[in-house]
Amino acid sequence: MNSLEKKEELLIILACLIFLIGISIVQLQNLGNLNFTVLLQELGLVVIYFITHKVLRRYYPNGDPYLLPLTISLISIGLTMIYRLKPILFLQQLKWTFIGIFVFTLSIYFFRKLNIFANYKYIIGLIGVCLLLSSIIFGTDIGGHRSWVIIGAFRFQPSEFAKIFIVIFLAAYLIEHKVVLGLHTNKLGPLIMPSFRFIAPLIAIWGLAMMMFLLQRDLGSALLFFCIAVLMTYMANNNLSYLCIASLFFFIGSFVSYLFFDHVKVRIDIWRNPWMDPNGQAYQIIQSLFAMGSGKILGTGITYGHPEFIPEVHTDFIFAAIAEELGLLGAVAVILIYMLIIYRGFKISLMCENEIDALIAAGISASIALQIFTIIAGVTKFLPLTGITLPFLSYGGSSMITSFIMIGLLFALSEKRNNIA
Amino acid sequence: MHNNDIKKNISKVAFFLFSLILILIVYITYIQVVNSDELVNNPLNKRTAASSNKIQRGSIIDRSGNKLAYSEKNDDGHFTRVYPFNEKFAHVVGYENAKLGNTGIEAVYNSYLSGTDNISAKFGAIQKLIKKNNGYDVVLTIDSKLQQVAYDALGNRNGAIIVLNPKNGAILAMVSKPSFNPNLINESWTDIQNNSSALLLNRATQGLYPPGSILKTMILDATLKEHKVTLQDTFDCPGYLKVSDDYTLYESGKVAYGKLNLKEALAVSSNTTFATLALKLGSVKVEDTFKRFGFDKKIENEDFIESPTVLPNFNELSDGDLCQVGIGQGSLLITPLRMALMTSVFANKGVIMKPHLLNEIRAVDGSIIKKYSAEKWLEVTSKENAKIISEFMENVVENGTGRNARISGIRVAGKTGTAENAEENPHAWFIGFAPAEDPELVVVVIIENGGGGGKIAAPIAKKIIVSALK
Repeated sequence: MNSLEKKEELLIILACLIFLIGISIVQLQNLGNLNFTVLLQELGLVVIYFITHKVLRRYYPNGDPYLLPLTISLISIGLTMIYRLKPILFLQQLKWTFIGIFVFTLSIYFFRKLNIFANYKYIIGLIGVCLLLSSIIFGTDIGGHRSWVIIGAFRFQPSEFAKIFIVIFLAAYLIEHKVVLGLHTNKLGPLIMPSFRFIAPLIAIWGLAMMMFLLQRDLGSALLFFCIAVLMTYMANNNLSYLCIASLFFFIGSFVSYLFFDHVKVRIDIWRNPWMDPNGQAYQIIQSLFAMGSGKILGTGITYGHPEFIPEVHTDFIFAAIAEELGLLGAVAVILIYMLIIYRGFKISLMCENEIDALIAAGISASIALQIFTIIAGVTKFLPLTGITLPFLSYGGSSMITSFIMIGLLFALSEKRNNIA
Repeated sequence: MHNNDIKKNISKVAFFLFSLILILIVYITYIQVVNSDELVNNPLNKRTAASSNKIQRGSIIDRSGNKLAYSEKNDDGHFTRVYPFNEKFAHVVGYENAKLGNTGIEAVYNSYLSGTDNISAKFGAIQKLIKKNNGYDVVLTIDSKLQQVAYDALGNRNGAIIVLNPKNGAILAMVSKPSFNPNLINESWTDIQNNSSALLLNRATQGLYPPGSILKTMILDATLKEHKVTLQDTFDCPGYLKVSDDYTLYESGKVAYGKLNLKEALAVSSNTTFATLALKLGSVKVEDTFKRFGFDKKIENEDFIESPTVLPNFNELSDGDLCQVGIGQGSLLITPLRMALMTSVFANKGVIMKPHLLNEIRAVDGSIIKKYSAEKWLEVTSKENAKIISEFMENVVENGTGRNARISGIRVAGKTGTAENAEENPHAWFIGFAPAEDPELVVVVIIENGGGGGKIAAPIAKKIIVSALK
């Protein structure tokens, strides 16, 4: 047993304790005793964790030892909260976790051959765009999000998966064209105009994002895609002009949509003054603020709060429930776990030998950071609310699986780094 | 070279994203710590109502154990708040209402009554270990028997009555009329809002009235303190006082009293004498006297909401205005509570004790959570001067305008007031205390537009004193 393995094992044990203790507390509070069936299910998940841990260490002994335990900690908190908020959905979320872990292991195997993927960047990009378009064209409204696609018995949110494809494509495209076209620039006043081929994908993604935004009303995903594209272009090229141009695009887009599209205007107005209509349009965000305020520093204690007053609390607003029952300490702890994951992601990126790999890892880390920032800022009324999920915490399969794939990608890149070194 | 560039940019982006998240953490801290109380207490927050259905709210109890407000469990498991005395304690006790919020004692001691005191709320889940099913009971200094006597004595007239113990500041009765029924607050809310006579106003602590002649006791104290006149000096009282070319002040009813000493002047409530005294003192000394009696200070007690005294601008007073202040008129506006405190100076050897309603807070098992201990508020005047004024006031009841408050067997001291105001009928005032040799209670009665203080207010004070001391 090497030191990485020991470290990972210890951390996983700690993360599992959060899960076992959390679920037991909810059971003792709500049922008065421990439910044996649920206990077995819990232990099943714990066993899977350890099997995964052993498999990873056997085949990829030098992979990052923190990613899996951090992820498990989040899932432990998430499952506990879902069991407390919507016990009926607990089993389903547990299933998603099993599938997620399986996909995680598979994705590590595939992403070890990331170099090969990079050669097919246009196909990958096309898949990403198709996924996005499919949700735009076939999108069905479930629970207020029009980003669902239903195929037979399956329903999923393609935009979640599209993230990964878009990041890989952008990384490969930007790095390749950077060498060829990096020096071709036209000046336009103080701004250095990039060559069209360099910003072409940026414009394309901006266009797609605007479509998602306006047709699907999926403000969150639209914002996420746009920001990922902008940040990755900047990272590949180090030209602040891109940021300026992108911000310009962003503000023009936002302003025009505020003027011409009612649903955008409503969102912004709710954000600016939710107290105008606290029992109508702004009900959800106001309830979220009440929940957070009632949590204070230490929280009301799990099961002692009233997060059930918030509609859709188990998906987009799960953070508010955590802030109420686990308090500021719990809320900040969750954010810190995310920050550690993001930190590991960027660290992995900086250790990569290959520029494309580095940019992919950075793109994935940035997208996790942007995602948690956008949704937490939304439910706390720091920014206008955008409906996206909180990775590993919110209820939902697409989000769980995509998040696991992203962690798998980071893990694969971390392992590669050590093999070469 | 290129490679390094990319890594540099990645670091920059990572730094930028971490900064964003840190700003978010600061913002969340603001909401959960600074903004927390405001959000918790927001009337739209259903958590208060939800938790009040779990815990039986404590009772509000008078000094002898009578319940003034209590919670009763319904068949559906929810609690209803009951106010057994209906209108009689409405302004003191207030009401508890999920929609309208709380007022009075129900608001001030809400955290104790509801069992969610802020201290334990900060302990998060740990507080659940000491979880309780009952809020604390709040015991008041109010004497419900005396309160009812006072309430009934006012009849259907508008006004206020305060009875307090000058030795410790305990408020024994506090009546304000017209009143409202806290049991029916939801049903009658629109009527209460539309009623022009401000039903929700606690006239005893918030009603602002010109004090009229009862303020002469204070001017007398100032005169004695400044040694402007001796007790033997006499004043010519021809029935009027020509203050300036265009202003002449008259006695009530333009009566000519001839020569009066201070004692006699107070007994007949001579306007010209006290106007003369005010002129002798000058506006600076008169202002000092108001300050000495605490009219410019807040009473640091949350048991009730108090309206601040409206004092004239002493720098700009003409002689005529100063004369008006000397007889409690002019732009002066004072609450009945402040008049009770002024009276207690003479009843309690020159010292005002802090007025209060809270006696103690106790748990269901009888253990005391918090106990009020009497506190000195202001040392206003000397024992000697207080004693002189007390004797003079006894003379007012014995031989002067306050004869209607005379009780055989009890030495009552008092002073009447008939305060002119914007409307036709003057406000009827009576301030007094008994027994004069060792005062146990101070009584203040005001009847809005009631007429003469001696005729209307003094008999009401008499009823209260009889009920309390006999």
